[in-house]
Formats: sequence, structure tokens, C-alpha cells
Amino acid sequence: MKGGAKVVVEQHRHAGVFIARGKEDALVTRNMVPGESVYGEKRIAVEQEGGDKIEYRVWNPFRSKLAAAVLAGVDNIHIKPGAKVLYLGGASGTSVSHVSDVVGPEGSVYAVEFSHRSGRDLVNMAKKRPNVIPIIEDARHPQKYRMLVPMVDVVFADVAQPDQARIVGLNSQYFLKNGGNFVISIKASCIDSTAPPEAVFAREVKKLQEQQLKPKEQVTLEPYERDHAVVVGVYRPAKKKEQ
Amino acid sequence: MTQFLLFESASGYGLFEVTASDELAQGSDAVQRSVENMERFGKVVKLSAFKPFTSAANALEQINAVSESQITDDLKNFLTTNLPKVKKEGKAKFKLGVSEPKLGSAIQEETGVPCECNEYVGELLRGVRQHLATFIKGLEDKDMARAQLGLAHSYSRAKVKFNVNKADNMII
Repeated sequence: MKGGAKVVVEQHRHAGVFIARGKEDALVTRNMVPGESVYGEKRIAVEQEGGDKIEYRVWNPFRSKLAAAVLAGVDNIHIKPGAKVLYLGGASGTSVSHVSDVVGPEGSVYAVEFSHRSGRDLVNMAKKRPNVIPIIEDARHPQKYRMLVPMVDVVFADVAQPDQARIVGLNSQYFLKNGGNFVISIKASCIDSTAPPEAVFAREVKKLQEQQLKPKEQVTLEPYERDHAVVVGVYRPAKKKEQ
Repeated sequence: MTQFLLFESASGYGLFEVTASDELAQGSDAVQRSVENMERFGKVVKLSAFKPFTSAANALEQINAVSESQITDDLKNFLTTNLPKVKKEGKAKFKLGVSEPKLGSAIQEETGVPCECNEYVGELLRGVRQHLATFIKGLEDKDMARAQLGLAHSYSRAKVKFNVNKADNMII
């Protein structure tokens, strides 16, 4: 995005997320490592009143399910400055880098990825971002990385596996604190390619409920992804009568 | 019957003793609630020993073994020196709660310490994970985070580099 002076950056409804208003609006996050792009995304530098510059990175909803969910109007992503996030399915770390921007230096992202090919990129990205903890391990076996992860505020999952509800449940049991939140992206065709997507989503939601993961809202990611939904909820919510 | 807990962290091994198990035996809902509150949890679970890892290389050796459910000499020494002695097989007056059954059977085989791994132990270990920095004097949350970061990098780097046949092959 050229002509930095003409671009105005506004705070988004979600803390740590911003909107750059220029010729075209774009979703952006504040770059933790100014001067560097992670995957060739555009950067926008905005001059502050004192003359200092703050750099933002454009967050492409076609490449990140979380960005798509934000633009789809999800009520709450729970990923905010200072939060500890367990990120399952980190892949090459493109989305992880934006989550790292959002949580900022006070937060941390524990990024789990099983594939060695993309894991290499994830590890390299994490070298420059001290709030990203790369874990090359199978998310199906959280006990293998139990020494590396503390109790977290949010579990985010984009694993696209048929048993993903079980994977999220298992990880929550180990690492997600009571009343913590989960954000899970569901790709219908990865779970059952013969059933209609709505039926698949409903079935997954039921599986989550059985594991004390209480869904609060669901958004579909049209037009950025086809037959995808993001479900956001709370883990082991405090009982009403106690409050 | 005394209940102990083994907790593996990025900074070292911790051994905890459950002192007021009666209070917790009321069902998992009650356990969950007392786990949340450090004031209550601190009365129920007490730190009995902590062994910090001596170096980054040592920590890496431990996590490699622990993630494969193997017992290291360090862990064996830690358990035998800090747990009550087991005189006869099957006659111990205590139990050790572990996070994973396979590691439990490895420990049982090597040291004769009876291990258990169930939902109840899992709940208690959640509490330990949450309050670890409060239990161990001189260990702050940010030290913990630094240890996790360093260990995760060395663990993951080794995984990515050491791929004899585990690399996912590209289909051309």
C-alpha cells in the first residue's frame, strides 16, 4: 500500500487488530518485527504525532481463517494483547505471525505443527519472534509436549482432521484453564465430504459439547473459504449458582 | 495411603504431595473448583521436592525421554531419593500420580514405585500446571516462559533436522 501519509489506521473492535483505511481498506496487525514481512505480505508504516513510525502488516482473510472470521463478524476472538494462546495446526506460521502481533510482547503463542516441511518455516519464523514457541509434534498427543506448555487462556485450532473435536478436547484437558476459550475452524469436507456442511458443523458442535467445550457462536467463512465454519466457545464455564 | 504427583516442567522435575485427599475425594466437580483457587489448592497439594535441570542439553535429554515415555537416570534418582522407600513389591504405602500411563509403567518397572494415571490425577496436575510458579520459590512465570521457549526451540529444531524417513514427501 503506497502513499503512507494517506493511510489512516484505526483500532478494530477486537483489541490488537487494526483497520488500515486508504484507497482500499485492509485488516492489519501491528508488526512486532518492524521492517520484515513473514510471507511477502504488504507493510504499512504510519507516522505518529511525535514523528515515530508504527508499522502494520496486512492480514489477508483468504490466507488466514482467523482473519476471515474477524471479517465475517465474529463477536469475540478472545485472542488479545497479553493472552497466552495454544495454536494447533500452526503450518508455516503465516497466521501464527499475526496472532503473535495481536498478543504482543506480553502474550505468547504456543504453535504446534506436525509436518516437518512447514515446521521448518515455523521454527525459522519463531526465531525472530520471541513470543512464538514452536512445537513440532502431533497435536493428537499433547502429553508429548506437556513440558513445554503452561495453562493457556485460549486454544485455537485449525487442524483440518476428521477427529479434530477430540484433538481440541484432549489439549484443553491438559492446558486450557477453567473458563478459558476455544476458537476452532472446521472444514466440512475434511470431516465428511458426503454430508451437507451444516450437518457436519452441527455434529462437530455436539462432539465439542460432550467434552465440556461449550460453543457460544458460529460463523461461516464465506466468501473467503467455502464450507468452513469457525466455532467460538468457553471451556468448563463457571456454574451459574456460584457467581 | 499417601498420594504423590510427578510434574515435568521445562525447568525441572517437581514432586508434590497431596495432603488433604479426603477433601478432594468428593468427585471431580469439587476437585475442579478447589484447583482454581490457589489458597485452597495450596492447602491440598504441597511441594515436596524440585530438581532443576542442570543445563539446556540436560533439559533436552529429559524431554526427549519423557515424550517417548522413557525414564532417565536423572528422573530415577530424583524419585528414589525423594519418595519413601519401597521395601516389598506391591506393599508400598503411597502412590505416584503421573500424567501418562506408559511413563507410569516404566517408572514402576525401574523403581517399584506404584504409579497411577487417571482423571483425578489429571485434574490435580492441571492445578499444579496453573500454580507452578507459586509453589517453587525463586521461579517466576517469566523464567518458566523463557525455559519453555529455549527448550521448545532446541526440541523442535532437532525434530525438523533429524528426519530420516519422517519427512512428508511431496507428490510430484
